[in-house]
Amino acid sequence: MNFLQVIFRGLWRRPVRTGLTVLGIAIGIAAVVALVGMASGYEKSVVDQLDTIGIDIVVSNMQGGIMPKAFEESVRDEIASIPGVAEANATLMQMLSVEEAPMMVVYGREWDSFTWDQLHVIDGRLPRDAQENAVVLGKLAAEVLRKKTGDPLQIETGEFTVTGIVDGKSVLENGAINMALPRFQEVSGYEGRANFVNVRVPEGTPEEQITALCRQIEEKHPGLRAVRAREVVGTSQGFRMAQAMSWSTSLLALIVGVLGVMNTMLMSVFERKHEIGILLALGWSRARIMSLILCESAAMGLLGGLVGVGLGAATLAVLEQTPYVRGFLEPDLGWPLALQAVIIAVAVGIISGLYPAWRSSRLSPSVALQG
Amino acid sequence: MPAPAVPSGEILYEASGLTKEFDDGRVAALRGIDLRICRGEFVSIVGPSGCGKTTLLNMLGLLDRPTAGTLRFRGTDLDALGDHASYRAREIGFIFQSFHLLPNFTVEENVQIPMFGLPGSSAEKKRRAAKLIESVGLSHRLDHLPVKLSGGERQRVAIARSLANRPAILLADEPTGNLDSKNSAHVMDILLRLREEHSVTLVMVTHDQELARHGTRTIRIKDGEIVPEGAQR
Repeated sequence: MNFLQVIFRGLWRRPVRTGLTVLGIAIGIAAVVALVGMASGYEKSVVDQLDTIGIDIVVSNMQGGIMPKAFEESVRDEIASIPGVAEANATLMQMLSVEEAPMMVVYGREWDSFTWDQLHVIDGRLPRDAQENAVVLGKLAAEVLRKKTGDPLQIETGEFTVTGIVDGKSVLENGAINMALPRFQEVSGYEGRANFVNVRVPEGTPEEQITALCRQIEEKHPGLRAVRAREVVGTSQGFRMAQAMSWSTSLLALIVGVLGVMNTMLMSVFERKHEIGILLALGWSRARIMSLILCESAAMGLLGGLVGVGLGAATLAVLEQTPYVRGFLEPDLGWPLALQAVIIAVAVGIISGLYPAWRSSRLSPSVALQG
Repeated sequence: MPAPAVPSGEILYEASGLTKEFDDGRVAALRGIDLRICRGEFVSIVGPSGCGKTTLLNMLGLLDRPTAGTLRFRGTDLDALGDHASYRAREIGFIFQSFHLLPNFTVEENVQIPMFGLPGSSAEKKRRAAKLIESVGLSHRLDHLPVKLSGGERQRVAIARSLANRPAILLADEPTGNLDSKNSAHVMDILLRLREEHSVTLVMVTHDQELARHGTRTIRIKDGEIVPEGAQR
C-alpha cells in the first residue's frame, strides 16, 4: 500500500460528497475555461484577421466601448503621405442587426484597396465597382443569414444583392458582410467618414521604425491612436474590460470552489478525528497527516480541473454554434489554457486544504482516539 | 512514594513524579508516579475504573503529555523530545480495547499502516504484514474490511498491527475488555506467544486480575497513585 492509495481511499469514504465537491470545482474551472477561452478566442480571431489582410498598423479613435468612433475619411490621405507608409486605406466597420441575425460585422472597404485581396471568391463574384449596390458575404455570414449568391439583403435603409460568397481565411472575415466603402457610408449615415485606417509599411521595415511611425501618426492626429496590428486587441479598452470581466467572473466561481472544498475537507477532518487519532498513535507524524489532507484536497482539485476543462471545452463548442458568437470569434482552448486551468484547480484544492490540514495537525492523539 | 521492586536489566522507562491534571488542575488523574520498566518485562497495570491506568499508558505512549514530572525512555527525557511521532513509530506498538482499526482499509492494509515511513521496500512491508497476519491465524481474512470481522478477529488484527513496526514495547489497554471469555483467552494466548517470539516488553492495563497474573510484575494504581507493594494484598 502506498500513500496515493491512502489518499484515494480517504476520498472514496464519501463518494457522493467527494463527487459533488469535484463537480463544484469543475463548474468553476469550466467557467474559467469558457470565459477566458472566449476572450482569447476573440484576441486570436482579430490577430488572425489582421495577419491575413497584411495590416501593419491600425489607426482608430478608440475611446472606450467596443466600436471606435468615426472620423474624417480624409485622414487616410494625410497618413499615406507620411514617409515610411507604403499604403493606407480607410474602413468603416459597424456591428449591426441584419435581417434575422442579431449581430453581424459589416465592413465598408475602400474599393481597390488591399483589404479586398485576401477575400477568395468561392461562389459568384466581387462587386464590379464602388458604386454597385452589392455585398459579398463571408462563408460563415452566408450560413448565418441563409443567403446565397443572387439573394437580396437588407442592411439598415439599403437593399443590396449578394453577388458572391468569399473565404476570408479568418473567422472574422468569414463572418462578415463586405461592401464598398461609399455604399456603406451612405446606408449607415457616415458619409465621408471611417473608423479605421489600415496601414502597410514596406516589407522588411524594422520593428522600432514601425513603432516610431505609430508615434508620428499619433502626434499628427492627436485624437487618434495608432497601434501595431498585433497590439490592437491588447490595447483595446473594450477587450480589456471584457477580459477583466471574464477573469473576475472566473474568480468568483473559483472562490465558491475554494469554499466548497474547504467545507468538504473540514467536515472530513471532523468526521475522521478518530481515524487521525489512530494514525497519530501508530506513529504517523503531524506533517504526514497534513500532507494527507492537503493531497486529498489537491486530488479533488486535480479531478475537478480535468472534468472542468472537459466541461469548459464542451461549453465553448456549444457557444461557438450560437448566432451571437458564430462568425465573430473562434473560441480558443489551447493546451496552455487547459494546463493553466488544471494548475488553478490544483491550487484551489491546496489553498482550500490548508486550514483543514492545519486543524488536523492540531489534534491531540489521546483526545482524537476517544472520537 | 517508593517505586515497586524492579527486576534487573536495561531500563526502558523511568518515570519520576509523573503527574497529569485535567480541567485546569481540578482533576488529578495521576499524582507523582515513580516507575521503572525494564526490557523483557511484562508489566500488568491494574486498578479500578478511573484510577488513571489508561492515562498512565497514554503518557508512556506519548499520546498525552504529563502536567509535571519526568518520563525517560532509555535515558532520554521524552518531554524534551521534539519528535514524538518518530518515537511512537520506532519504539511503540499499541493495542486498544476498542481495536481502533481503520474501517476503510483491509486487514492487510491496516497492518501496513504503522510501517509508513519506515525503511524497507513496499514488497518487504507487504510480506511482513502477511507474515504477522498469519501469526495471528487470519491469513484467510487478508482482504477483508474490519466490519466483516468478529471482535476477536479484530483484536488479533490489532495485535498483528502492533508488531508491524518491530517495537521495543507493546502498550495494551484492556486488550480483552470488549471480548467474551473464549475470545479473550484466545487473544491472550496469541499476545503471550508473540511477546515471546518477538522478545518485546509488554505493558498491559487491565481490570481483570486473572489476566494480570500473566505478567512478570503487577503495578496497582488507586486514585492516581501507585499502591505500595506491601499494601497491595
